[in-house]
Amino acid sequence: MQNNPKIITQYWGKIDPLKIEDYLGVGGYASLKKFIEKMNPPKALREIKSAKLCGRGGAGFLTGAKWESAMAQKSKEKYFVCNLDESEPGIYKDRMLAENNPHLLLEGIIISALTIGAKKAFIYLNGNYEKAKIILEQAIIQAQKNKFLGSSILKSKYKLKIEIFSGAGAYICGEETALINSIESNRGEPKIRPPYPTEKGLFGKPTVVNNAETIANIPWIIQNGGKKFAAIGLKNNPGTKLFILGGAVKNKGVFEASTEITIREAIETLGGGLQKGKTFWFAQVGGASGNLYLEKELDSLVSGAGAILVVDKTVNIYDLLLSWTSFFRRESCGKCVPCREGTFRLHEITERLADGEISDRDKEAMLDIFWTLENTTFCPLGKFAAVAMRDAVEKLEIFRKC
Amino acid sequence: MLEKILLEFNPETKNLFLVLKKVNAVFGYISEKDAQKIADYFELPLAKIYETASFYDLLKTKKPANLEIKVCSSGDCVLGESAKIIQEIENYFRIKVGDEFNPKISLEKISCLGRCAEGPIVIVNEKVYEKVTASSVHKILGEWR
Repeated sequence: MQNNPKIITQYWGKIDPLKIEDYLGVGGYASLKKFIEKMNPPKALREIKSAKLCGRGGAGFLTGAKWESAMAQKSKEKYFVCNLDESEPGIYKDRMLAENNPHLLLEGIIISALTIGAKKAFIYLNGNYEKAKIILEQAIIQAQKNKFLGSSILKSKYKLKIEIFSGAGAYICGEETALINSIESNRGEPKIRPPYPTEKGLFGKPTVVNNAETIANIPWIIQNGGKKFAAIGLKNNPGTKLFILGGAVKNKGVFEASTEITIREAIETLGGGLQKGKTFWFAQVGGASGNLYLEKELDSLVSGAGAILVVDKTVNIYDLLLSWTSFFRRESCGKCVPCREGTFRLHEITERLADGEISDRDKEAMLDIFWTLENTTFCPLGKFAAVAMRDAVEKLEIFRKC
Repeated sequence: MLEKILLEFNPETKNLFLVLKKVNAVFGYISEKDAQKIADYFELPLAKIYETASFYDLLKTKKPANLEIKVCSSGDCVLGESAKIIQEIENYFRIKVGDEFNPKISLEKISCLGRCAEGPIVIVNEKVYEKVTASSVHKILGEWR
């Protein structure tokens, strides 16, 4: 792993998030100026496409392709949404981003929204992120005063309004169609696709929903060019990524590193290795919906949204299993039966497992539920609910108690 | 008071969520009476108000208990003995996690709040406690007894 440029965290802790002057002092909003004075939406799109920037929310869809699809729509009204719902357990990179450098995020939102032709953008903020809300509200007011937002941005014909939409605690609202439902005052249940949000999204208009971390890369790409970005990290998923280290590591927190990093390197170099006296058991990568990796599998890349939870041998595994199953049972929206019932029964069986009362029939039923969740649920939540549990069954000896 | 909140918003369905959040913030929950008034104002069926409100964790349709205790039970907090903390609280107040029958005290498992590095997290009536342990939780509960 070589020394990589810090794209997102460069000024964390060095600038005051409540002062726009600090951000301007380190060259902030220069990318927006460049976009308005020297570029146009097709040109900006070309840069993002050549950067091969992938979504940082977990799914990894190409940002350029998403934008292009929305730009191809003829509708006069379009929306841009920054997804800052971030409710995956163990993931708080976007909160740190908003709290440490809110203007970087705003600059990214403004450039993105103007590129796709939106005059209104929303920040869908996790309902529990009170501090981030205050900071972002302040940042929006400052950006308006400095003419980076409003009816004539930097005296150009571009206009944009940004509104913060604070959620109310629902994991599923991180899924883009559920998020759109939520802004429309409906239950935050996912919708069937197609039509994709980029064709028919918020209030029936073309809408691009991007993760906050994805958006925070945009100013750098506009300033330095897509080719330079594509040269960093992996070929098919370039750039840097925020990684969240947790569990038995020495340094817990959010770190930025190239996308090339393996789980082992992340634990050693970013997390500082294991805490004294703890023995590695496995790592869960990507939050509660993430796969489990044993010691011999640690040379894989970090998948999903970038969380690495290191579990050591002192942990009561049944507490952790129950935390996953109760989480998905609680957060299943109830729209489709396989997920609503599947997550519920999986939790019941896991409770019996924790009590040491699991029967052979339960074990068989568990495998059936995994299959049903993986193959028949309406949206990815159901699939996620099975990932870690299946790995636990296959890789850890969780049935040993019985 | 409710009328004052309603008049801040145009009666368009897209404002319903914002109204519900505000009512919940001011009164602590959305009572049936208030839900009916909101339905009348938006010219929507009462069922629609509940359809939206009942979906979200942070919107309450029942009066919350006087003492609301929430314990994070995800990832880092679980590794940091949040399960033991829940047991301690259950024994201390003789309640059961998830029960809604006691109007005075409630104990609830909640999902990740994104404060993993400061976990385990316990919240008592909106006050957030960080790095709680199974032994330190007694002192916190004593504050609220």
